[in-house]
Amino acid sequence: MTSAWKTVWLKELKDAIRDRRSVMAAMSYAFFGPMLMAVAFFAVVNQATSKSDLEVSLTGAEYAPELVRHLQQNGIVAHEDPEQASIELTIPEDYQEKLASAEPITIIIRADYSERKGSDARRRVESAINGYNRIVAGARLMMRGVSPEVMQAITPARQDTATKESRAALIMGTVMVFVIMSVFFAGMNVAIDTSAGERERNSLEFLLAQPLTSADLVLGKAFTASTFAMLGGVLTLAMIPLVFMFVPLEKLGIDVSFSFLTQATLALVLLPVALFASFLQLLVSFLAKSFKEAQTYITFVMFAPMTVVFVLEFTRFSHPALAYLPITSQHQALLGSINGEPVSALPLLIGGVSTLIVAAILAFVVQWKLKSEKVVFGL
Amino acid sequence: MIEVNDLKKSYQDVQALNGLTFSASDNEITGLLGPNGAGKTTCLRSLYGLIHPDQGEALIDGVAAQKEPLTVRKQIGIFPDKFGLYERLTPREHIAYIAELHGLKGEQQQRNVESVIKSLGMEDIADRKTQGFSQGQRMKVALAQAIVHQPKNLILDEPSRGLDVMSTRILRELMFQLKEEGRCILFSSHVMQEVAALCDRVVIMVKGQVVANDSPQALCEQTGESSFEEAFVKLIGTDEGIV
Repeated sequence: MTSAWKTVWLKELKDAIRDRRSVMAAMSYAFFGPMLMAVAFFAVVNQATSKSDLEVSLTGAEYAPELVRHLQQNGIVAHEDPEQASIELTIPEDYQEKLASAEPITIIIRADYSERKGSDARRRVESAINGYNRIVAGARLMMRGVSPEVMQAITPARQDTATKESRAALIMGTVMVFVIMSVFFAGMNVAIDTSAGERERNSLEFLLAQPLTSADLVLGKAFTASTFAMLGGVLTLAMIPLVFMFVPLEKLGIDVSFSFLTQATLALVLLPVALFASFLQLLVSFLAKSFKEAQTYITFVMFAPMTVVFVLEFTRFSHPALAYLPITSQHQALLGSINGEPVSALPLLIGGVSTLIVAAILAFVVQWKLKSEKVVFGL
Repeated sequence: MIEVNDLKKSYQDVQALNGLTFSASDNEITGLLGPNGAGKTTCLRSLYGLIHPDQGEALIDGVAAQKEPLTVRKQIGIFPDKFGLYERLTPREHIAYIAELHGLKGEQQQRNVESVIKSLGMEDIADRKTQGFSQGQRMKVALAQAIVHQPKNLILDEPSRGLDVMSTRILRELMFQLKEEGRCILFSSHVMQEVAALCDRVVIMVKGQVVANDSPQALCEQTGESSFEEAFVKLIGTDEGIV
């Protein structure tokens, strides 16, 4: 192998950079991902922090003004149009009588209990009524000279061990999926153009007839695509802290800190992924018969690693081997960097090497395929 | 020096090359003629090692293209059947790219690129992006790429298609000049007048086999025809396939 790969790399880079659309496509993805997440988080933050009033249909409110006031303090109010409320509260006519004689009062909470969406609302109503129950019962015990504390034999105490970082990890994990995705997508256009595109514009035959090994050719082309992939990945990494400056994550008790050093390390971790993605894309597009076909196939092929990452992200499946495998090891490294449990160097190294090995195998297959007439002439 | 020995190549049920044997010597222009589908392009492709023949060998300066494709490719300049340009690069960048792949660097590279641009008369288009180039302009870029490294052997697949009169003249001059420099030129063509005017030797092939191999004059005498076109038709044994 000579330095011919460098010649190919530089030429392809020059060519790709002049292709404005390709550059825009690569970079827009890097912007688009974090932006989308930011918008989503904005909604999550708003929903989680503002508890809006719960509107119920209230009948018999006039029999128990004190209870109604208590409910109001807990954000439960009567709906102006009782027909529209999904929860129906009925206070019995003999409320005051029974209260006076200390008999149990039944308040009916009528709702469709199979409906999942309203389970929070139903719980809120029940706990508000339970709360009022405790107040009244406590008052009664006091009047009889008994401390209300006798009613509390055991109290569960909740201690939240979630750190700010681990709470952040829950949300940021999704963002990190975007980082890996942008590595896969940013170089895609270039990879197709430099392989299937090259063949379609009939310049592949001439290029292969030049005195350079197909390994040199493949390396040069893959490095071009990887350069774009890395650019996309780095840009996404850089965008994350920028975008999250505008999202009031601190309201959720989430602290997103992302030092420059962390970002640089993560970029390094992504490098093998970029190479892996580029070789995979080159292989697929050389095997396709045309540019169009290549685009279709690549979209399918890209689903595979993405699915792995998404499934891991959402099922929270974990296994020690994941720290060493391609893609998943980098995903773990990305996650580790934000939930305050940095992945140690060894698995990171092994993960990087295993990714590089897979990339090398792909590279070998591509250059071998380029020696076949079928692939070169698109037969 | 280009030698082809008993070359055989078949695609599924088509026998593209069927024991093709001929040679093209240095200091000569050799024309490769034949009706469409005679196997000309397949033959040329096996010369630079992109097609692996089922049998036989193609030698460039005594080196087999199948065994040492890189050595062979250094010795040849190629003008392929299909060539595409990179729309976003200029002709100068195209030519320099190929020169660099052939190991030319720095000043040497610049000198070669400059001289080939000049000899093909393409100074006016050398620094424009090739997007929107006419067929003739594209051909010139491809030709420049074929000769920038001053190869000992030139393989041209229909180099004159789409060229205007002036460019055809430039091409003709260029070929004569390269021949004078002692290079070996092998080119395929469908233009009979051009072949008759340019070639020292004509190889006519039909269905993957050589049917005639001599100078244009000798072929005319052999068939008893006054024009080379008539001689060609007689030699391929049919009047089909002439474009």
